[in-house]
Amino acid sequence: MRLLNRVSQWLDARLQLREPVTKVLEHPIPRKSASWFYVFGSAALTIFMLQVVTGVLLALLYVPSAADAWNGLQSMNHQVAAGWFIRALHGWGSNFMLAVVVIHMVQVFLFGAYKFPRELTWILGVFLLLVTLGMAFTGQVLRFDQDAYWGLGIGASISSRIPGVGGALVKLLLGGPIIAGATLSRFFALHVFVVPGLLIGFVALHLLLVIKLGINDWPMPGRVVRRSTYLQEYKELTHRDGMPFVPAGVGKDIIFSGAILLAIVACAFFLGPFGPGGQPDPTIIQTAPRPDFFFLWLYALLSFLPPAYETPFLLIGPAIGLIVLLVLPFVAGEGEKSWKRRPIAVLMVMLLAGVFGSLTQLGLHTPWSPVMDAWSGEPIPANFLVHRTPLERQGALVFQAKQCHTCHALEDRGGQRGPPLDAVAVRLTPDQLIRQVIQGGGNMPAYGKSLSPAETTALVAFMGTLHPPGQAPARDASQTVLYGKEP
Amino acid sequence: MRLEVTKRSGNVRLLLLGLALVLAGCERGRAPGQPSEKVEVADPRQVVDFATLYATNCAGCHGVRGEGGASIGLASRGYLAVAPDAAIREAISRGRPRTAMPAFGRSAGGLLSDAQVDALVKGIRAWAPDGLETSPDAPSYLATGPGDPARGEHVFREQCGSCHRPDGRGQASVGSIVDGAYLDLVTDQYLRTTIIAGREDLGSPGWRGVIGKPLSAQDVSDTVAWLAAQRQQIPGQPYPAARLTVNKP
Ligand code: HEC
Ligand code: HEC
Ligand code: HEC
Repeated sequence: MRLLNRVSQWLDARLQLREPVTKVLEHPIPRKSASWFYVFGSAALTIFMLQVVTGVLLALLYVPSAADAWNGLQSMNHQVAAGWFIRALHGWGSNFMLAVVVIHMVQVFLFGAYKFPRELTWILGVFLLLVTLGMAFTGQVLRFDQDAYWGLGIGASISSRIPGVGGALVKLLLGGPIIAGATLSRFFALHVFVVPGLLIGFVALHLLLVIKLGINDWPMPGRVVRRSTYLQEYKELTHRDGMPFVPAGVGKDIIFSGAILLAIVACAFFLGPFGPGGQPDPTIIQTAPRPDFFFLWLYALLSFLPPAYETPFLLIGPAIGLIVLLVLPFVAGEGEKSWKRRPIAVLMVMLLAGVFGSLTQLGLHTPWSPVMDAWSGEPIPANFLVHRTPLERQGALVFQAKQCHTCHALEDRGGQRGPPLDAVAVRLTPDQLIRQVIQGGGNMPAYGKSLSPAETTALVAFMGTLHPPGQAPARDASQTVLYGKEP
Repeated sequence: MRLEVTKRSGNVRLLLLGLALVLAGCERGRAPGQPSEKVEVADPRQVVDFATLYATNCAGCHGVRGEGGASIGLASRGYLAVAPDAAIREAISRGRPRTAMPAFGRSAGGLLSDAQVDALVKGIRAWAPDGLETSPDAPSYLATGPGDPARGEHVFREQCGSCHRPDGRGQASVGSIVDGAYLDLVTDQYLRTTIIAGREDLGSPGWRGVIGKPLSAQDVSDTVAWLAAQRQQIPGQPYPAARLTVNKP
């Protein structure tokens, strides 16, 4: 014990850190700010440290080569003792970190913490969000399975649209025009050196600012921020009603960070690691890749945008979003902090949450995406085949062979990109059915050239049977007049 | 103080519950999250499991387990008794051009390897019930020579007319099998297969017939020839008027 004391005294005589560190730890914070709402920043930091530790362990085993990465992860899952658990911790840690960072940001926004004098803290926070997203994206690529391929493809296609530098940027990212061995080494370097370097730098500055400027006071409706008086008011507040950060203020942070760590461990333990999914082989075309959770909204957005709007949306949208976030503390640097007096801010958060939430929901269910093997794997329900003529049965086969089933469901099986056709005959007459198939329209391909007249006839005969037993199919009265009976 | 105690025991109970959960999760010393070999996503090109191959590639048209689909039920006794393996393999890998049956073999632009096609042929064959044998009297699966449509008309009238009507246009619950569009969408081999194997599921009897006189190989060829002769030059015209104006060359 005495030896330890002497060593630490010897060190401190040289480093002279004890005093500043103690000062930092004991810096006064407003009593009300030691709240359960103010724990997300420290939780993000805790998860980041978990990511560093697990990341280092993974880097020891990871082989950043296109040929071996996938197999390497397989053997990490199966052969290396607890390898799967470390992968799972790192993967879940990443999801939790993004979630906590986003929650932290929303909280900071709603509590007006970005206002004077904490503008720079906020701006660094925005960069931290970007960098964290960057970590999530590059990390997903390192998994190097089909989903990674897909994510990269999207990333590359977005970058390639930037006017002027697009092509060069893609080359820089992928190490060539296509995804190959060089791509993986690049993303390894990005994920392990470049982006974490930035992240650590930003975190350090962000923390420095938090300590220098003091933690945000609890927003009181009516307590307005003014550049001329705020600093003085804050000082008085911490004097009048403050307490030292350590030990009084840090308790909730520790409890919450601990709970989050436990949650990550539980997820890792019970739900296991992410992937790797199917092999990253572009020649395998029977796949339905899907990006990680945090990029699902983008996936949904891309699927819904008409092609002409994609470029403006993808390039201008994020740029505008970023600019709004960056100038926010300057245009709204003063005024009310309490969300109770900032209805627009609350509405904005709700709107954004709604938009991202529903896009993610759509991304999870992918109703727009064709069910690629429904044509060959999803039988026509049996009761659509009883008491049918040979021609109508051929129509059912055309329905399968021409992939109608991949977009149209029958009895809820099959794709949902187009409307279900269970009762289409009630809605459309044979002529309208022919028109729809030949000319397509509204996101349905026109089949005109790829259906022979016989196939069309059979198809329409089959679709004409798609009506509930008690309900007559739609028909065109003029034809009854012309031909005496239905053709 | 009392409050404190109950809170403690509550915590302990929670902890025990958690432990029990964890232990329940780790059956056979395995954490629930630990990936098992099975979870692994297999390369679809390596799959040779018949059930998987059939369910993803064939069930859509030939029905779940080879029954109740829109096309030939590959599991039906009638079919398995006449179709040789080589013909099944050929149909799978080359497909039937101009019909809904796609070519699945790699050599013909499909996605299935030879090993996978073999697995399918074996699996389909394994559907045959024990003791199913090809009768020596059964007409051959493949036609041995050209058929005579005029004779075919007679055979059809005699053997099939009771159900299909003598002209093949059918009646109340039996649809037309001489419809131009229908005949345009099926091959002669399909007609031959259907006539020999019958369609148990639909009620078409097969080569043994219903009049106590089985069809010979030649009878089948002739019937197919007659049916083929009913094909139209320009099939699938939606309106009767259009059908009438077709000029026969
Ligand atoms: C790429 C996906 C896709 C494929 C493949 C597709 N459809 Fe569609 N289909 C659609 C969409 C989307 C609509 C809705 C069009 C609209 O909104 O006007 C639609 C509409 C229809 C309608 C009108 C339904 C109604 O209730 O108005 C019919 C009939 C139809 N499709 C038949 C077919 C047939 C037959 C095939 C195969 C030859 C086919 N579709 C293939 C996507 C598809
Ligand atoms: C899109 C629909 C479709 C799919 C999918 C499909 N088939 Fe077919 N199949 C057909 C049709 C239609 C025919 C009859 C073609 C003709 O007229 O000759 C046929 C014929 C066949 C035949 C020959 C029957 C005979 O005449 O002896 C075999 C064998 C066969 N299919 C096996 C398969 C197998 C095995 C698969 C899966 C790998 C498969 N089919 C998938 C539609 C399909
Ligand atoms: C016992 C009555 C009966 C007899 C005899 C009979 N069939 Fe059928 N056949 C049917 C029925 C019922 C169907 C189903 C028709 C329908 O679904 O509309 C059918 C269907 C068919 C089909 C169409 C299969 C398809 O969907 O592609 C063909 C071809 C056919 N029969 C040929 C023949 C020939 C040729 C003969 C004589 C050798 C014959 N049938 C004898 C009852 C019979």
